[in-house]
Formats: sequence, structure tokens, C-alpha cells
Amino acid sequence: MMKTAKNYKLLVYLILLIGVVITSTPMLYLISTSLRSNGSLYEYPPTFIPSKFTLENYRYVILKVDFYRSFINSLIVALSTVLFAAFISSTLAFCLARFDFPGKNLLFASIMATMIIPGMTLIIPQFELAVAFKLINRLGGLIPVYIAWVIPFSTFMIKGFIEGIPTDFDEAIYMDGGNAFTVYRTIILPLASPSIAAISIFNFLMAWEEYPWALTVINDLDKRTLPITISGFFGQHNFTLWGYVFAMSVISLLPVIICFLFFQRYFISGLSSGAIKH
Amino acid sequence: MLSPIKFYIWGENMAQDYLIMPERPEKKKIKINYPLILLLLPGLIVFVLFTIYPIVKLFFMSFFDWQIGFEQKSIFIGLKNYLQVINDPICRRAISNTLIYALVTVPSQIIIGLLVAVLIHSIKRFKITFRVLYYLPVITSWVIAALIFKYIFNNEGFLNYLLTDLLHLTENYIPWLDRPSTGMFVAQLLGIWKGIGWNMVVFLAALQGVPLELYEAASIDGGGKIKQFFYITLPSIKNTILFAVVMLSIGAFNVFTSIQLMTGGHPAHQTEVALTWMYYKAFEARDFGYAAALSYILAMIITAITLLLFRYFRKDNT
Repeated sequence: MMKTAKNYKLLVYLILLIGVVITSTPMLYLISTSLRSNGSLYEYPPTFIPSKFTLENYRYVILKVDFYRSFINSLIVALSTVLFAAFISSTLAFCLARFDFPGKNLLFASIMATMIIPGMTLIIPQFELAVAFKLINRLGGLIPVYIAWVIPFSTFMIKGFIEGIPTDFDEAIYMDGGNAFTVYRTIILPLASPSIAAISIFNFLMAWEEYPWALTVINDLDKRTLPITISGFFGQHNFTLWGYVFAMSVISLLPVIICFLFFQRYFISGLSSGAIKH
Repeated sequence: MLSPIKFYIWGENMAQDYLIMPERPEKKKIKINYPLILLLLPGLIVFVLFTIYPIVKLFFMSFFDWQIGFEQKSIFIGLKNYLQVINDPICRRAISNTLIYALVTVPSQIIIGLLVAVLIHSIKRFKITFRVLYYLPVITSWVIAALIFKYIFNNEGFLNYLLTDLLHLTENYIPWLDRPSTGMFVAQLLGIWKGIGWNMVVFLAALQGVPLELYEAASIDGGGKIKQFFYITLPSIKNTILFAVVMLSIGAFNVFTSIQLMTGGHPAHQTEVALTWMYYKAFEARDFGYAAALSYILAMIITAITLLLFRYFRKDNT
């Protein structure tokens, strides 16, 4: 009996390990290709592990191409989206969770409904808006649309969280002569910060990797964000220099992976404490 | 695009953890609250200007031969755009490609994701390590994922070398991305690969919520592991499965980047999906009216699917 249980456990680990090997193969291939010289890319037979590792692709994309420019652009766009979306959706969520006002149910229903529709279907009128506001070919053209895309879900999430915060604190503030601002600043913002932090991670990822809208709005090389630069490099050269493309890809993945590993712990503590309760 | 909607479950759990008192808060009624109006305004402006207004505008556009720019005039043409969309064989192909994509990727992601979640749930060590590793494809951007797959499935790529020259499974290299059927297959594979991790996390959270007493009662009754899974686990996480089906179906309709970068809709628009075709019609063919009508039809299809799914699961519950 003991032995079969042990074998069973071993089998589980084995299956999980095989699964990990399969799912991470594309990622490992990406890294290995970025580490081989472009000359050896079209060698026959192709190999999974390069015979010689080199950093020449990284040196090239960092020193020769204006790759750092795209990196900074992406950072500006992603951080602005995160900051504005966090402020806008938390205030909206606060109003929806704590107050009654005319049209409130309609507003909340439309926010819910817009979560179903693919964001890209609105790209044409949004493009017209960008033209009208002279936002074409500017980073400022990306940010408002990204904010608009993430607001429904962010608001929905934060609203649910705020509803779990007791109103006793609010009332104490109102007694002391405070108003809605004071409550938002001193109670809601600090207490709802876990949910704001959580949605901010996803908003960051979304803005960091967004492709179709940036493709539509941005033309100039020095305004491009990472996804556009990476895919554009791909189209520029007749036969693609995969080594460069993948070196850029690895660099652009680094902040995301670091961010994920950092917040993963934070999430796991939340999830596992939930498991202990049961 | 990574849909931010997908992290609902985490939020739920977090909300529970930070709950100080479980009772529902009462709403406060105030007559004219200027701070409230000021707090409401930023969200309202962005939402109305960049979401509600475009929805309304798009509706108008779909009845016009729409021109962007100030010199040209748009002409009202009634339902002509809608008729064109419905009668366009390429568009039908694009929509059926999207539906097939959903039918293939949604169940595959759920089954594999659930399997991985059950396995990870059952082990004690390396739980977090496995979770992180399985989650990595989710945070890989669509652009990078599409380029990796394009590289692997290239005619002279590693996979063809493996299948033909090394394993001798096929005689000639398979032109994966140049044929409609295999092109769609690669896109589906990419979708599944990228989606497993999200499903794993969602189901893992759901599995932790299944009361242990249920399993204890079953083990006294002598039910096997597989029986337990079908009679206890599955019914207990039914709502999570519905949630996943809805989210993944919406996600399937959002497919754009992978197709755009891997096949570009080729050959002869046979691998277009709904959004790549919409994008092509709008920004290559400059037929904005057509693209607007297509957008509306798409929105209606996905809304109908969502409502049907909810109704189906509701009926099942009672």
C-alpha cells in the first residue's frame, strides 16, 4: 500500500515535469536563439542548443539600434496607464460602491457590458478620436485608449473590494466633518490598496505588450513601443535576423518576469491563506 | 493581448482575506455632494469619451460609406455594409475560423489547465515552482509568442527538421504557416500553450475552496480518486468552469496578434480571423463602414454566446 502511494506521487511529479518541459521549450528556444550568432542561424542541421554561445545579438541591439528608446517609450506608456487607471478606476469604484446617484445602475451595467466586447472592435472610432485630438504618432495617443480599455475591469474589481470594507470608518470621518474626498484619501485608498495593486500589475502587462492599437497610431521609429519595434524589425529585413529579434524579445520580457516573480509571492500568500481556512 | 478580466478569482480571494467585518456595508444617502461629483468625473469622462461615444459612433458608421478625413463626405447607404459583410465569403471564412478557434482552444485549455491544477494541488513540494513555470507563457507577450512559434514552425525551422530529417515521420517539410489548415492549427496551438497557465491558477484557487469533508466522506464510502474527481471535485468547481468558459470564449474572439504576425491571413485570406479581417478592411482597404458593421456583428455574436452560456449553466444548476 505504502509503495503504491509513493509510486503514485512519483508519477505525479513526473507528469508535471514533462508538462513543464513541453511548455517551456518555446521559451528556452527563444533564449538559446538569442545567444547564438546570426551566421549560425541557418546552419544545417538546426540545433536546439547552440555550439557556441555569444552575446553579440545583445550587444548589437543595445548599442547599434535605438532599442533603448522603445524600452523607455514602453515604460512611459505602461507606467502612465497604471497610474491614471489606478486613480480613475478607484474613484469610480468608490462612488459606485458607497453612494447612490441617478443613473448609477445604468453606469454600472454599461461598465459590465463593455467587458464582453473585444476592445479592438472600437478601434476605428477611437482612431478618429485620436486624429481629432492630434494624438496620432504620439505616445499620448496610446495612453488614453489603454486607460479606457482597462477601466471597466479595474473598476469592477476594486468596487467588489471596497464593498467588503466596513462603512464604520467612513461614518467616523463624516462625523468629524470630513467629506467624500477625506474618506477616499484616508480610508478607501489605503484599505483598498491590495486590489489596486493587483489590477495595476495586469494593467502594466496589458500596456507593456499591447500591439494592435500601437501599430495603428505610431509610425515614427523614435515613438515606437517594444512590441512594434520587435515586430517591425521582423518586417524590415528580407530574411529576418532572428538573433536580434529574440535578443530584443528577451530584454523586453525581463521586467515582466521580474515583476511577476516579485508579486507572485504576494499573491501566493493570499491564495494559500484561503486554503488554510477550509 | 492579455485580457485583464482574467484575474477575477484572485481578486475574490484577496477580498476575503482583507475583510475585517463580514457584514455588508449600508449605503449612505447625501443630497448634493460636490466632492462626489468631482470624484466621479474623471472616470465618467474617460468612459464616456473613449468607450461609450465610440460605441455609438461605430453604430452610425456602420450605415455609411464612411470616410476618415475632412475633405471627403460620408454617404448614408443603409444596411448595405451589413449585407456586404454577410455575403462576403472571406468574412464568413474569418468568422468560422474564429468559432473553430474557440471550439478547439477553450475545451483544450480548460482540460489541460484543470489536469495540471489537480496534479499541483495533490503534491506537497515544489508547488510554487511548478505554478511559476506553468504560468510563464501567460505573461509572455502575444508578439513574442507569435514570433517564437513562427520561428519554430518555419519551413526550415526546427520542427520540420525534427519531423522530417531526424524522425522521418514525413517525407517533405511541412509548410505549416503557408497552408490554411495547418496555419490555423499553429495559431490554436499557440493559444492553448499561452492559456494553460491562467486556467491552472484559476482552477487551483477553486480546488482550494472545495471542502475537505466531502472527500473524507467519499473515502469512507470507498470511492476511488477518479470517482471522487467526477462526483465531488467537478460539481464543486462548476461555477469556476463557467467563468473560465466565458472568459476564454471572449478571449478567442480577441485573437489578432498571433494570426497577424504568423500568417498575416495568408494564403488568400484563408487564415483570417474576425479581428484581422476587420483590421484589414479598415486600415488596408479603408472600408471603414464595412469594418464597423463587422464589429457590430462580432459584438452581437460574443454577447449572444455569453448569454447562452449563462442560461445553460443556470438551468443545469436548478
